Amino acid sequence: MSETPRDTLLEVRDLVLRFGGVVAVDGLNMSVHAGEIVSVIGPNGAGKTSAFNCISGFYRANSGSIRFLGQSILRRQPSTITKMGMARTFQNLRLFKEMSILDNVKTGAHYRMKQHWFDALLHTPAYGKSERECEDDARYWLDFVGFKGDTSMYVTALPYGEQRRVEIARALMTKPRVLMLDEPAAGLNHSEKQGLIELIRRIQALGISIVLIEHDMGLVMDISERIIVLNYGKEIADGTPDEIRNDPLVVEAYLGTDEDEEDAE
Amino acid sequence: MASATIAPALKQPAWTNDRNVLRVLAIVFVVFVYVLPLIDDSTKTMDFMTKAMIYVFLGMGLNVVVGYAGLLDLGYIAFYAIGAYTCGILTQAFHIPQWAAVPGVVVACIIAGIIIGGPTLRLRSDYLAIVTLGFGEIIRVTARNLTIDAPDGSPMVRGPSGMANIEQWSFGGWSFTDGLNIGGMFIREQVIFYYFVTTIALVLGVFGISRLANGRLGRAWKAVRDDEDAAEAMGINTYTTKITAYIIGAVWAGLAGQLSATQQLSIAPTSFEFLFSALILMAVVIGGMGSTPGVVLGAMFVSLVPNLLRNYEWAENRYLYFGILLVVVMLFRPKGFWPATDILPWSSEKIHKWLTARKAAKAGKDLIATEEDTYE
Ligand SMILES: Nc1ncnc2c1ncn2[C@@H]1O[C@H](COP(=O)(O)OP(=O)(O)OP(=O)(O)O)[C@@H](O)[C@H]1O
Ligand SMILES: [Mg+2]
Repeated sequence: MSETPRDTLLEVRDLVLRFGGVVAVDGLNMSVHAGEIVSVIGPNGAGKTSAFNCISGFYRANSGSIRFLGQSILRRQPSTITKMGMARTFQNLRLFKEMSILDNVKTGAHYRMKQHWFDALLHTPAYGKSERECEDDARYWLDFVGFKGDTSMYVTALPYGEQRRVEIARALMTKPRVLMLDEPAAGLNHSEKQGLIELIRRIQALGISIVLIEHDMGLVMDISERIIVLNYGKEIADGTPDEIRNDPLVVEAYLGTDEDEEDAE
Repeated sequence: MASATIAPALKQPAWTNDRNVLRVLAIVFVVFVYVLPLIDDSTKTMDFMTKAMIYVFLGMGLNVVVGYAGLLDLGYIAFYAIGAYTCGILTQAFHIPQWAAVPGVVVACIIAGIIIGGPTLRLRSDYLAIVTLGFGEIIRVTARNLTIDAPDGSPMVRGPSGMANIEQWSFGGWSFTDGLNIGGMFIREQVIFYYFVTTIALVLGVFGISRLANGRLGRAWKAVRDDEDAAEAMGINTYTTKITAYIIGAVWAGLAGQLSATQQLSIAPTSFEFLFSALILMAVVIGGMGSTPGVVLGAMFVSLVPNLLRNYEWAENRYLYFGILLVVVMLFRPKGFWPATDILPWSSEKIHKWLTARKAAKAGKDLIATEEDTYE
């Protein structure tokens, strides 16, 4: 795998993010190549979500650089970064609660729909066409993530696992090059986790790179090509699953405690 | 396992289809408002029904801001005042017909919307509530102290007395004041005006706004309302989305102001008090934020009820009762009388369950159990 030179899509250098005295991200370096699956792991409070938030534009980094598709996105708005081709999900499900499942997914096409407000007001042919295309797309992605059911229901009527799928479909709707998933397996049962692994592989097969924050070691070791380990905002390791598994620093900082927890279960 | 089961698409008889019931109700409402003058075209009825339709129009405008975009606007009537004064000043200063003042009203409201919304919409919405509250008061006080003379030197805007002799709508040589003769039947000014306002309120207000709400922009409004960060993550520029909602709300209020000025044929600054903003907000909130039928009903309610109760002594304190009603509605129906999430105000879900249960009982199948975990 490593022989084939792949384009670097995302490149983060010396990223620092402080909240008052807390250094949430302390000199993070990472890069994401086309079509790969990278996992970011680390104990609770290690700064994984904060790093995601910097990259996707929600937090302003104190220093460092973030380049996406060759451009600096350090000072860009989140919506602009999404339009450039980076999508994300949130650690705590953040669907639009008072919208139907279909409408939730349709919002992902907002920036590329060719429809003005007067098209909607007058129901012009452009309105019909854009809505139809958008709906077809939305149904395609809902189908892709394996959602089967009534799409006119409100999202809150769905069980948790299904809501997770809808959130991924919504992110895919933005046509990303890089998809960042923040703990997508949290709260899922065993069979749902298997479904998620299979889904992530199918997303990768479309040529979309995936950055994954995850606590489930089994899942991470299973699908990642590369793993980045954070601890107290600092990057302590970056390598293949095998390298990470045997890295003494990682075992000490993270895996040891995690395995203890798993034994206890 | 529970997560794998999803509501089966249930085939129901057409009459129980909530959407069909809603359609019938909408048609009944439209027919009613158009037939009404044939039943009762008394000055009194026409007067307060016209006012009610202006409230509907205003309510739908505010519904965009509060209901769809989730922005709390406590000074909405400021734009109504701006619309009224703009049309009054333009028609009197330049001797143009009322329709020619419409673009002026629209532009004035867009500018006012940008001035107020531009800086504040970057902040969280609590600030918007405070700023709009202040803005409403500023406009009211300004209106009371505003004096402008017409180009010929005669007084035009007269401070606390506002403006008089507002131009009635006229097209070509024909004015509403001339009335209309259709097949030997004479339709007088008030009735024409009522039809005019009703048509605008239904077409531009009710249908226009609900169409906007169902399109790309409307989805963006709702997304921003439900979760601003998630909306940004979907590639929606939340700032421009909020400002379009705010401007559309402003323009709709401005046009309502123009309609109101031409109904009264005068403008009184006392009518732009905070209570009016609160009343329209109440129409939206008790009706159901983001719900078209809810807001129509809410607006009819807050405009018609005080009128109907005018002759009763106990109704002196009607706004006190309104306050109590608002509290009661918020306690028992926090999403309003007709929530946007329901197609019909009575619980459609319960009817749905009942029907399926009955069908299942008939078929001797055990459908009830699966229904239970479908809706949890
Ligand atoms: N908005 C914020 N304001 C202040 N401190 C914050 C904020 N967001 C995160 N932090 C702090 O930054 C540190 C890193 O938090 P972060 O959420 O990035 O961790 P994480 O690695 O995602 O943890 P978890 O695995 O629990 O999700 C924590 O100490 C947290 O308290
Ligand atoms: Mg996190």
